[in-house]
Amino acid sequence: MIRFNLNKISILFFLLLSEVSFGFSMQEEKKIIDSSGKPIPHALVKLEGQKALLVDERGMVSLDQTAEKIIVYAMGFESLQLTWEEWESKNLITLLEKTGNLQEVVVSATRTERSVEQLPMPVTVLNTEQIQNTGGVRLSEVLREQTGLQITSNHGSGLQMQGLDSDYILILLDGEPLIGRTAGTFDLDRISVSNIDRIEILRGPSSAIYGSEAMGGVINIITKSYQNKSDLTLGLRHRSFNTWNPYFELGVGKDKWSTQIFLDHLQTDGFDLTPEIVGQTQNPYQASTAQVKVSGILSEKFTLNLFARGYGENSQGILQTNGNAGAEILDLDNRRRDFNFNPTLRFKPNAEWTFTLRGMSSWFSTLSQSNFRTSGEIFEFQEFDQFFHRTELQTDFMANSKNLITLGVGQLIETVEATRYDDLNRFDAGYIFLQHLWDPIPKVNIVTGLRADFHSQFGNRLSPKISGQYQISDNFSWQASIGAGFKAPDFRHLLLNFNNAAAGYYVFGANLAADGISRLQEQGLVAQVLINPASIGQLNAETSRAINTGFRWKPSSNSQVIVNAYRNEIDNLIETAPIAQLVTGQNAFSYFNIRSVITQGLEVDAQVSLLENLSLSAGYAFLDTKDLEVIQQIENGELFKRNAQNQTRRVTRSDYGGLFNRSRHTGNLKVNYREKHSDIDFALRAIFRGKFGFADLNGNLILDDEREFAPGWISYNITASKTFGNGIFLEAGGTNLLNTMTAAQPNNPGRVLFLGIKLPILNLLNK
Amino acid sequence: MKTIQKLIFTTSIAAFLFSCDNTDDLTPTLPLEVTMVEDLAAPNDEIDRTTGEVVVARPFQFFSLERNELVTENEDWDLAFKGTTIRVNNTKNVEAAIVNGIFEEISEVPANATFRTDSENTFAIPTGSGSGWYNYNSATFTVTPIPGRVILVKTTEGNFLKLEILSYYKGNPPVEEINPRTTPSGYYTFRFVLQTNGTSKF
Repeated sequence: MIRFNLNKISILFFLLLSEVSFGFSMQEEKKIIDSSGKPIPHALVKLEGQKALLVDERGMVSLDQTAEKIIVYAMGFESLQLTWEEWESKNLITLLEKTGNLQEVVVSATRTERSVEQLPMPVTVLNTEQIQNTGGVRLSEVLREQTGLQITSNHGSGLQMQGLDSDYILILLDGEPLIGRTAGTFDLDRISVSNIDRIEILRGPSSAIYGSEAMGGVINIITKSYQNKSDLTLGLRHRSFNTWNPYFELGVGKDKWSTQIFLDHLQTDGFDLTPEIVGQTQNPYQASTAQVKVSGILSEKFTLNLFARGYGENSQGILQTNGNAGAEILDLDNRRRDFNFNPTLRFKPNAEWTFTLRGMSSWFSTLSQSNFRTSGEIFEFQEFDQFFHRTELQTDFMANSKNLITLGVGQLIETVEATRYDDLNRFDAGYIFLQHLWDPIPKVNIVTGLRADFHSQFGNRLSPKISGQYQISDNFSWQASIGAGFKAPDFRHLLLNFNNAAAGYYVFGANLAADGISRLQEQGLVAQVLINPASIGQLNAETSRAINTGFRWKPSSNSQVIVNAYRNEIDNLIETAPIAQLVTGQNAFSYFNIRSVITQGLEVDAQVSLLENLSLSAGYAFLDTKDLEVIQQIENGELFKRNAQNQTRRVTRSDYGGLFNRSRHTGNLKVNYREKHSDIDFALRAIFRGKFGFADLNGNLILDDEREFAPGWISYNITASKTFGNGIFLEAGGTNLLNTMTAAQPNNPGRVLFLGIKLPILNLLNK
Repeated sequence: MKTIQKLIFTTSIAAFLFSCDNTDDLTPTLPLEVTMVEDLAAPNDEIDRTTGEVVVARPFQFFSLERNELVTENEDWDLAFKGTTIRVNNTKNVEAAIVNGIFEEISEVPANATFRTDSENTFAIPTGSGSGWYNYNSATFTVTPIPGRVILVKTTEGNFLKLEILSYYKGNPPVEEINPRTTPSGYYTFRFVLQTNGTSKF
């Protein structure tokens, strides 16, 4: 049966409770707690033959009737059945946490709320506790500990998933896309984690509902909401490299309205992996985030949500240039700004229909400047301004308990103005998507989706996807999905107009290439045009076809195994290629659909709760990647390599190591332990990254030599945390305790130690 | 660092064993001499990084493959080097072709090799990363000869010659030892085999 909105159900119980709570309570109050002794404020108590009662926010409940049997349950916990005698004899009733996160609600997978176990595609949810266990302050630090995810360093901390780079992964914040990429990378260090409630990780192509960019997968970050509760939290986190992270969170939830305000500031001195070279690996920076979320019930049928977020970041650094007058110091100054505003209006006239109208506007800008220290003259100045607007209407129709149909229609505008682009450029696009959730029999869930995109620049695209799940038994279910994804050419591919004065080469976006070449020809700079000019400007979207299949298995009530195997076939990858040889001997380049690659692998996650205060989890990911053109060249005997003595021989198939920056083997081992006397939670993690190719050394530009691999390494991380009775939260710990560093991973600063405190001010004042 | 050294050690032993096997098997019939030219200095012009203007112009280095020495522009030079650019002597009808293969295995000029000379605007040995003799790796800022690229030259005397560029850096260092900031570049190390009997067999 399709559960449309689990939260609504609990609100319903809330209303019920308010009616009964005025009644005379005959019974003693009981407290429903979890295994750590914390109250469970969302627990429900059901007397046989009666409606369930919700406990109060302290986890307390009292019954005004008796019954033979009483069932106590709560989302995320194993339910407990008690006889009346058992109920009578206890003051505290402990529910055991369910192993794994299969109960967690996921929004991003189908754009409707469904629990993980109902979804036929590979989805993982990280809850607040798992996020807290990492001790991370930025999103990159949370995601790097998850099975099958890697953080790569290329114009920021980008996410790699199923062997696909950041370019192909859509990042959503409360369901709305975040924009602002540099050279294709979405920098995860822009996202503070202090106010994140949970993170949904959706693997495999999701273009069938999200269009471009969701070719490899989707990350949805869900920030905290306050429904019918108020809280004021002050937090401070300190870590190595003189990093400070104070934050403030205010949530006011009253009757029909709730508001959340979040302020976060992060500053750090950065770090340097190469002290012998002038300039740091990571420059000092200061970043501030402000976020406001307002949601309200306007009437029985209308709800309104407003979301606004601003982000600003400044960094400073130095660089040495070897000019004609010898070495000179350059002062660098970089700025990054980001602002989002997303209003959402929801109309639910009856139980069957829901209409959601979403607006989403985003501004993203970067500015980078470098000046000679001695003369103050500008060495380089670059600006980038991007605006993105989207309006979307989503209609959900629950035909019956087995069929839910979703139709979405949207329109978007994107503009960009930048130093390296001419004029203000604008893209227009529209899309329509249709999705059918179908549970033909209770054991089967099928999700079918189809999305059509109409784009002013690269034409139209159709993205289908079908996923199915069969619940073979209560403990075992099998999932499989087949889908297509695409990634539209970005501004850079279409509009770049770049001339490297020092090296003397030109790069033109596909739209400008024909003009660029004729202009160079007029100036007499072209020696030879290398390609047919008619083929210039024919840039298509990058496309993928993917299959994912796996299972979720619960061998016992305290353990869980999740497995997913996948294969992504990606065609039309966009790369630069020379279009003309210039009289200087240099080339002019443009972008073309050139390569085809394959990424395939297997991901396994296993969890077991050994004791009520001890749980273990292990993850392993195998990844195999290859460039089909390289394979062809090797088979034709056209690729050669050199050894350390600069002798040449043919590259063989077994020499080829696939794509750069992909580890064939990765994994993690996590232990969570609660020390009973002190009530301190320990989270110990060992995160393994196997060897990966970092750069070509033998001149053939492919990964085919042992010397071209960076060694594998293990990061040992530990977090100790304690929540006191009054709600004060303390944490201390360290990541990469063995201080392992490699130049091939410039985003790994070595050992980081941290301390943090969180004060629930309202809670403390009320006591 | 230690693992890298061990690695180099093991790979060099492997390469040594491998090459021993090879010489046993090949039993070369033509005793043509392989000439090695080391560290031919041909630095590029100095260019202002902001404007792209040439600040210090440097001359081409003219080399006679027939005489195996540097010569002046007025003499019979075959190839001229400056930075990554290699010119052929078009006034003396020197021609060049680029083929793919292993230097030792190229026993004659292949029928499909297209010999060209330089024109005003084109080069017989194309310039630019990936198109001629080298790759520029923008991740490591290194110029490395494309493995398997062999340059065939018809010299001023009309003789055929095969040539392989081994390094662009001083001292012909293993690639992992090149530091693009400190290792002097524009130093060609190459080897060639010249056939003086007028045939196109090596």
